[in-house]
Amino acid sequence: MSIENNKRFLPEGKYVMMGNVAMSEGALAAGLEFFGGYPITPSTEVIEHLAKRMPEVGGVCMQMEDELASINAIMGASLVGAKSMTATSGPGFSLMVETISMAACLEIPFVFCDVQRNGPGTGFVTEPHHNDLGLMRFAGNGEFGVIALAPMNCQELFDLTITAFNFAETYRCPVFIISDAYLGHIHEAIYIPPKEEIMKKVIPRELPNNFENKFTYIDPTTNKYITPKAPIMGTDYVPIMFIHQPHNPNGMSSRRLALPFTQMLIDKIKLNMDKISLTEEYKLEDAEIVIISYGLPVRTSYRAVDIARKEGIKVGIFRLITVWPFPDEKVKKVVKDAKAVIVPELNYTGIIAEQVERVTKLETPIIRIPKVCDFHHPNDILEKIREVVK
Amino acid sequence: MSGLPPMYPSEKPEHPYLSISMPGKYFNSYFSLFCAGCGYGIIGHLFNRVFEDEKLDPKLYPMVIGIGCYSQILLSLHHATQRILALHGRAPGLATGMKMANPKMKPIIFSGDGDCLGIGGNHFMHICRRNLDCIIFIFNNSIYAMTGGQGAPTTLFGAMSTTTPYKMFENRIDGIKLALTAGATYVARTTVAHPRTLMKYFKKALKHKGTSVIEVITPCVTYFGRKNLDNLGAENLDIKGQKMENTGIMIDWIKRNSIRINQAKFMTEEELLNKYIIGEFKIDPNKPEYSEEYAKIKKIAMEGK
Repeated sequence: MSIENNKRFLPEGKYVMMGNVAMSEGALAAGLEFFGGYPITPSTEVIEHLAKRMPEVGGVCMQMEDELASINAIMGASLVGAKSMTATSGPGFSLMVETISMAACLEIPFVFCDVQRNGPGTGFVTEPHHNDLGLMRFAGNGEFGVIALAPMNCQELFDLTITAFNFAETYRCPVFIISDAYLGHIHEAIYIPPKEEIMKKVIPRELPNNFENKFTYIDPTTNKYITPKAPIMGTDYVPIMFIHQPHNPNGMSSRRLALPFTQMLIDKIKLNMDKISLTEEYKLEDAEIVIISYGLPVRTSYRAVDIARKEGIKVGIFRLITVWPFPDEKVKKVVKDAKAVIVPELNYTGIIAEQVERVTKLETPIIRIPKVCDFHHPNDILEKIREVVK
Repeated sequence: MSGLPPMYPSEKPEHPYLSISMPGKYFNSYFSLFCAGCGYGIIGHLFNRVFEDEKLDPKLYPMVIGIGCYSQILLSLHHATQRILALHGRAPGLATGMKMANPKMKPIIFSGDGDCLGIGGNHFMHICRRNLDCIIFIFNNSIYAMTGGQGAPTTLFGAMSTTTPYKMFENRIDGIKLALTAGATYVARTTVAHPRTLMKYFKKALKHKGTSVIEVITPCVTYFGRKNLDNLGAENLDIKGQKMENTGIMIDWIKRNSIRINQAKFMTEEELLNKYIIGEFKIDPNKPEYSEEYAKIKKIAMEGK
């Protein structure tokens, strides 16, 4: 980590923290050096907290004039070698997609926290609604792969933010943190591990040891895609020019490169699915009914499953921590022998339910439990489980 | 007449600044992708001259280039420069991030009239307000030339363009006045017809600490000149105009249409309609610069007061 400071890491111990604050502390622990943001309701605490904390650790927190400027600023900061991030909500996200597309093309790493709120339009600003998932997957013009992580409590907001920064450094693609208005404002106890333990996990931004054949995408020994370390402007480790058109590793663009370049942007994620795809299983060994979910609804599902198990119903939870890229193979295996699949989600369409439908057999019923601006009650899920058993 | 290209003596002296541009360095010739009569070639060359003469460290002066015709300057700039093509209008935002993450840098932003005053007006205004240490070039050809000659926020009153086929009836924006109001601390305007002034202003801006805005009036013969008469801006004087079909006429027009700042003081608003006032408008080295101010905040925060 280039900026060493004792204030960067909170002393080891237990804290009670708001979700947004826990996320900010996670980012600081991961080595955040530049934050650019614009106040927007469910995410405002992030910029408020970092405005105080960033100067303390020698970093920069800037309140920009709008979302467009803030995402461009973090991209500029990332270009000169600072780990950077922004936090916003739905309407701000809509403004930022243009630059996300450019960053994906130039492979500039940064982390993007989306504290989702109700929509469309302005919506109810303090209510949760997982409605930006589609936008995350297809953010911006062009085809490229993204990574999105869905924490479900404050502890995970801290831990997964560090993971998100590591993914950004390794795969150099837009990395999203899926939060929402409730998760961002929940106050919970979290444990912050000692500094040394965090430092071991963090992948720092630094120049590679070897500058020779500096920007090759294909490893000559294994003939596989590799993602070189991100270039840093102001050093010798830069391509001829940064141009957001299909380009070769040295920065020269050509129409002939369009196909291999697009392929590279998508395959660098696809071929590393085993490392990127994080999932969790709960009582799934003998389950006949499978609940697939992510984020807050998972917490409700735990309770529903426990009650149902007491009633003798074989039900288990498959939890997606990495929502995008969608783990096709893993889900396929889980739903193979399932009688029914229940997908509780904080949206009406069932953005992930659609993905599950894609990999399930036609006979298997997929039951959505939509909720908007509200929590699931365990009874909502139990009802559906009992219905299936009947 | 033979069809042979002009022959040069074999001991042709090499152009002193030929080998510093990227094509000069790698292909030993100067070429660009600009139309015949375009002013960006002049600007690129002058930039390279200053870059070479002042011996600027390319690592400390990153180039941030917006979207427009001038984006092709990427290919003909000094071979050592580190350059990035920004999104349309977002170059000031990108430069802010670069400067704040590495305060030793002084980004040089190339942007056009549509890029900087149209789509990126907000970002331009706020980079001036913060007085961030950087140089902003606004290349004003008063038209959206890359997309084929549409009317721009800076198109002169009464001018023809593809989206104003009858005549331009909107009021134009003055980038210099906007920069002054927003709080830029070095503000100047010149034209490609005054190349030495352009170099002088650029050198001054390099030494200045704070936002420097230099507007450069350049000719666009292909999309602006061919559609307009060279009495544009002087219709009331009853001069018969001719189409600005080549660079000579257009450069002449730019020269006639530019009024020195001292002279402009004695002219009325009406007389100055469609005229370009050139010169240095403001030099204020005392206004606090943003990254230095932020460094002070960091110091306060680190000491824990």
